[in-house]
Amino acid sequence: MPVRPVLVLPHPVLVTPAVAVGVVDEAARSLAVDLVDTMRASPACVGLAAPQIGVGRRAFAVDVTGHRKARSCHGAFVLFDPEVLERSQPELAREGCMSVPDLTGDVQRDGALVVAGLDPEGRRVALEVDAFEARAVQHELDHLDGLLFLDRVPGPHSVFPRKVYR
Amino acid sequence: MPRFSLSAVGADRPGIVAGVSGALVDLGCNLEDSTMTILQGYFAILLVVSAGSSVGVGDLEAALAPVASRFDLVLTVRLLGDAQLPESGGLADAVPWTIAVHGADRTGIVHGVTSALAAEGGNVVDLSTHLVGSSGAPVYVMTLRVTLPAEPDPAAAAERIRRAAEALGVHCTVHPDESDTL
Repeated sequence: MPVRPVLVLPHPVLVTPAVAVGVVDEAARSLAVDLVDTMRASPACVGLAAPQIGVGRRAFAVDVTGHRKARSCHGAFVLFDPEVLERSQPELAREGCMSVPDLTGDVQRDGALVVAGLDPEGRRVALEVDAFEARAVQHELDHLDGLLFLDRVPGPHSVFPRKVYR
Repeated sequence: MPRFSLSAVGADRPGIVAGVSGALVDLGCNLEDSTMTILQGYFAILLVVSAGSSVGVGDLEAALAPVASRFDLVLTVRLLGDAQLPESGGLADAVPWTIAVHGADRTGIVHGVTSALAAEGGNVVDLSTHLVGSSGAPVYVMTLRVTLPAEPDPAAAAERIRRAAEALGVHCTVHPDESDTL
């Protein structure tokens, strides 16, 4: 069952900090497959964090391949226990989230960063990401801390309904 | 120069702002601060207008009557006195913070959070709410820009407000509004 349902607000897993994976075992590799499969099954989805599919573990998938706002692009990748090593250049842009399907928001994110973690083979990797890939990584990192873009907007005029009429 | 508050609400249709603002222009009024938005399919206008010294509430109501009738707007006009800020509230020295609240919809979220804010001597500057999600699982999203007294400890006050919100069963984050003057 590689494609999993994506949880939406107000599911409690989405606002709960995830716990470290520690060792990349079969269960972790299976989680990596589910993250990528679920991300690919969802049109326009460029990233998915484990809590969004109900798994409270520190893991996410990102793939910004072909996106017009992307500069750096590492293809589809999964990181376990990710941490930010360097960050720079805040930029404001609008983003949405599969777990908050009705709203979008303007959020300031660092324009470039170095993120390190374990890949599905258990090797430690460090990725330099910028532009849209950097934004996607930071959005997924927030999910691991139980935070949504709604928690990052600079004020009431930075939250927008996707559709005014439903 | 007298100033008036004007509110108008009606089922959303193209042309409401053009109609209301046209009536105000014809009367020589000036739109100052305004908020206009769609709320659950209704278009809501709230604005402060200034007018020539001879203009009264009755003149504004008469000028707006045709557009109110045409768009079936509920309209109110009031003469405003000079705004007087409370001297003792320390509003001028207060520091801006943003509060984000989201969770399963329930009665009392706005009241609970703003009561906690008021208990800290804080003030709402701007607030918006969105009721989203499905009818079976409605979700409430509220974002506030507030000010908190600069003394003794706005961060501690913000944390108490955050805890009061969490006690309502909703998720809440608070952060100071930081800006760099370049």
